[in-house]
Amino acid sequence: MIPGKYRSVSGRAANNVNCGLHLVIQTSSLPEKSKVRFKKVEFKLNKDTSSFPGRLLQHDLERNYSSRQGDHINLVSSSLSSFPILQRSSEEKILYSDRLSLERQKLTVCPIINGEDHLRLLNFQHNFITRIQNISNLQKLISLDLYDNQIEEISGLSTLRCLRVLLLGKNRIKKISNLENLKSLDVLDLHGNQITKIENINHLCELRVLNLARNFLSHVDNLNGLDSLTELNLRHNQITFVRDVDNLPCLQHLFLSFNNISSFDSVSCLADSSSLSDITFDGNPIAQESWYKHTVLQNMMQLRQLDMKRITEEERRMASVLAKKEEEKKRESHKQSLLKEKKRLTINNVARQWDLQQQRVANIATDEDRKDSDSAQDPCQIDGSTLSAFPEETGPLDSGLNNALQGLSVVDTYLVEVDGDTLSLYGSGALESLDRNWSVQTAGMITTVSFTFIEFDEIVHVLPKLKIKFPNSLHLKFKETNLVMLQQFNALAQLRRIDQLTIDPQGNPVVNFTLWKYYVLFRLSHFSMQKINGTEVTQNDMIMAERLFGILAHVASSELPQYRLISILGDARKKQFRYLLESKGKKPGIINEENNDSKRLVGENTNRATLNYTTKDFYNEKLEEIKEKKKFCKTYIEDLVKEATEINMKNEALQKLWPQMFIELVRDAVIEIRNKNSYMKLCLQQITDQK
Amino acid sequence: MLSPERLALPDYEYLAQRHVLTYMEDAVCQLLENREDISQYGIARFFTEYFNSVCQGTHILFREFSFVQATPHNRVSFLRAFWRCFRTVGKNGDLLTMKEYHCLLQLLCPDFPLELTQKAARIVLMDDAVDCLMSFSDFLFAFQIQFYYSEFLDSVAAIYEDLLSGKNPNTVIVPTSSSGQHRQRPALGEAGMLEGVEASLFYQCLENLCDRHKYSCPPPALVKEALSNVQRLTFYGFLMALSKHHGINQALGALPDKGDLMHDAAMDEELERLVVRSKLHRTSWQHRAKEPGAFGFQRREKQEALERVSSASVPTPYHYRWESRE
Repeated sequence: MIPGKYRSVSGRAANNVNCGLHLVIQTSSLPEKSKVRFKKVEFKLNKDTSSFPGRLLQHDLERNYSSRQGDHINLVSSSLSSFPILQRSSEEKILYSDRLSLERQKLTVCPIINGEDHLRLLNFQHNFITRIQNISNLQKLISLDLYDNQIEEISGLSTLRCLRVLLLGKNRIKKISNLENLKSLDVLDLHGNQITKIENINHLCELRVLNLARNFLSHVDNLNGLDSLTELNLRHNQITFVRDVDNLPCLQHLFLSFNNISSFDSVSCLADSSSLSDITFDGNPIAQESWYKHTVLQNMMQLRQLDMKRITEEERRMASVLAKKEEEKKRESHKQSLLKEKKRLTINNVARQWDLQQQRVANIATDEDRKDSDSAQDPCQIDGSTLSAFPEETGPLDSGLNNALQGLSVVDTYLVEVDGDTLSLYGSGALESLDRNWSVQTAGMITTVSFTFIEFDEIVHVLPKLKIKFPNSLHLKFKETNLVMLQQFNALAQLRRIDQLTIDPQGNPVVNFTLWKYYVLFRLSHFSMQKINGTEVTQNDMIMAERLFGILAHVASSELPQYRLISILGDARKKQFRYLLESKGKKPGIINEENNDSKRLVGENTNRATLNYTTKDFYNEKLEEIKEKKKFCKTYIEDLVKEATEINMKNEALQKLWPQMFIELVRDAVIEIRNKNSYMKLCLQQITDQK
Repeated sequence: MLSPERLALPDYEYLAQRHVLTYMEDAVCQLLENREDISQYGIARFFTEYFNSVCQGTHILFREFSFVQATPHNRVSFLRAFWRCFRTVGKNGDLLTMKEYHCLLQLLCPDFPLELTQKAARIVLMDDAVDCLMSFSDFLFAFQIQFYYSEFLDSVAAIYEDLLSGKNPNTVIVPTSSSGQHRQRPALGEAGMLEGVEASLFYQCLENLCDRHKYSCPPPALVKEALSNVQRLTFYGFLMALSKHHGINQALGALPDKGDLMHDAAMDEELERLVVRSKLHRTSWQHRAKEPGAFGFQRREKQEALERVSSASVPTPYHYRWESRE
């Protein structure tokens, strides 16, 4: 009679029942069987027992089934109303005064049941009833079974104040309503309907079992007031979140299989429910997640069974360990994303300032007289606030870093970042960071150095530092560094070694030149570079580079006068010396090394070594210095010229006058000697005068 | 040696005309700058080397622009040096933009002004889009005219403007002392009516200019020759005609004729030696795949062009010519 899905574990129902009925819920409920029992009893009563009770029983079953129906139930249609009227034989009434089964009677309406006001159990299973009617008089009803009908609305139950079990599964009910008076309700089965919302059940404080499986629920709330609820079945709905479950003080079993729950947050109230011991989540998206099991276990320590499987101690332990790991990972990634965000903002800031600077420089450059360097750079370095994520350190940096972490120093105007083997510098302020005390380990690992938003001319000045502090840097990257002339590549020759060079077209106009790569290969041939901008360098490229610019090198070396060679090379060495002296960590070994380096350079590539790059500022400086000397030279030469012209004039004048003078000399001499005697006297006179 | 004209000039002017003082001043200046280095091997040797290099035309290498343009001889030397160093680029057939040529110029003279290169480019491109690609020979010849005769060209530009706007051509025009700003051209409508100016009138003005000028200017006879074929001409047309005129090129003496521009047997030999040396230097690289043009654009392999041209067919007049110029 009662569909056997429910088992009353606690004997609570039994205790409250006054009618003496023990509600035994059987697992199998074949109507035939119960009918057999019925029949059996009846048979015994009415007829003599035969020797083959089984066979006869069967036989009788067939014979009596239909006739039983005919005997047992008479549905007489009355002309007065459209409802059929039910009549039972009085024997029946006496025997089964409290129960009536009308299943599979092809009923489309509830019949009027007269004279059965003591009825407790009423079974209307498997019919076609569309409305609950004509049962208001059965006020002693305890169990009403309308499973598998076509009921669209809950109604007609307002008088059934004793009702304890209401089975309305597999109907067409769209809304839970009209249950106000059923305060004793113990089991409410609404599975297989079209209910979208949980409502109007808050008064059912004795309800123990609520089945809302296979409905259209999208969320669970409004469960307060169900103070006795121990089992809640919500399988096969579309539930995305669950609330109010912590308001159910007795809830032990909660079935949420085959819903749409995807995160534990949406069922977070479960963690607060201390009574819950058995829960199912299978068939939800959340069950597919890698963190599903241990998150559930970690958050619901009171749980004994998950997805119909007992939870062992081992599992619990694992869950807490994993949950801790998750927490840490989340914290870690949160920190990382914070850092990343900061980095991004800083880079944007640097980029903006770079653009401003470029515009300013462009404006100033049109006016050729003014120098562009100083005035443009001032505003960029002002920024007072420093959001330094790095603690101020005097010792080696390694104490704060481990291999996986990014070293980050964030100030508003520049950014220095160390990421494994790459050192990235954004903004000209970052160049100062090369002065820091880098630990040997970190510095040794750096193989790539990337410059962004920094003027190449500024980078040139720090190349010696780079050479010393990061000896393993083999790959240089330049982006937005204002590389405009082939000459500038000459500056890279002073490094120890470059394997790869990447010049990003953005912000480096030099890349637009047809010959730039060949020039780089030519000038930096002693590095034997392997890759430029990602493409490998082939021997053909090297040969082509040599072909194109080989003569330049030849001219630059062999045709320069010796003193020029010395002075140009000397200049370069002097410059490098200057930087060395300025650096803090000066070691005596470096100077020797420097000499060796340049000697080696000169030995290998004499013909190229004269191709140097002086930044514009330095060049202008040098020219300024020379101006003084030039002035001096000019005046000196003028003096010399004056002297020379005077001498020349005198010489010319002498040339002109000499013949005349010579003749006069001769004439004077001849005149003197003409008179021998007087001349002898004169000579003697002169001799005596001399004494 | 002791020609009458020479003696006729007052001393200072004579020296100035031959630019002797410039070189003397520069020599002393260089001496001062590199005192420590030069004092090691003696001042006499320094002066020898210095004037030798002046003779050979290598004194302008890597010098500042103010020195490079100081004397006609410097300019000629510079042009020649540029040709010799970058002839290979031209030989390879690459067409470069004005900016790239300017870069090459800057390799030899770090502060070479962009204006001059721009003006030279305008001659080649006839004042059209200045970002077009130019061939090496076109650019070189135009650059020669622009650089060597830059003051003269400024005056010519002024004259041209006046002629265009119909002013009296015989008034003395002196260009402003700044580095020859090109004056605004008249509105397009006016110029469009009659293209350029009349050739003969123009030539008359030029002749006057040449007489008056103390700057070097092209030999008037050759200029007349250049103008003989045309009735009317534009400014850039005139310049283009100048740059393509063989006679003027030879008169300058810096560059070989256009046909011989890519030939320089001695240098080619040297280049081959260098290339071979660099090949040997990288024996480890021989295993790499031989793909031409790994940089993604077509390079015409002019292997055959670098084969040694039989020296008999290539006259090398310039070395001789150089020495005869005293």
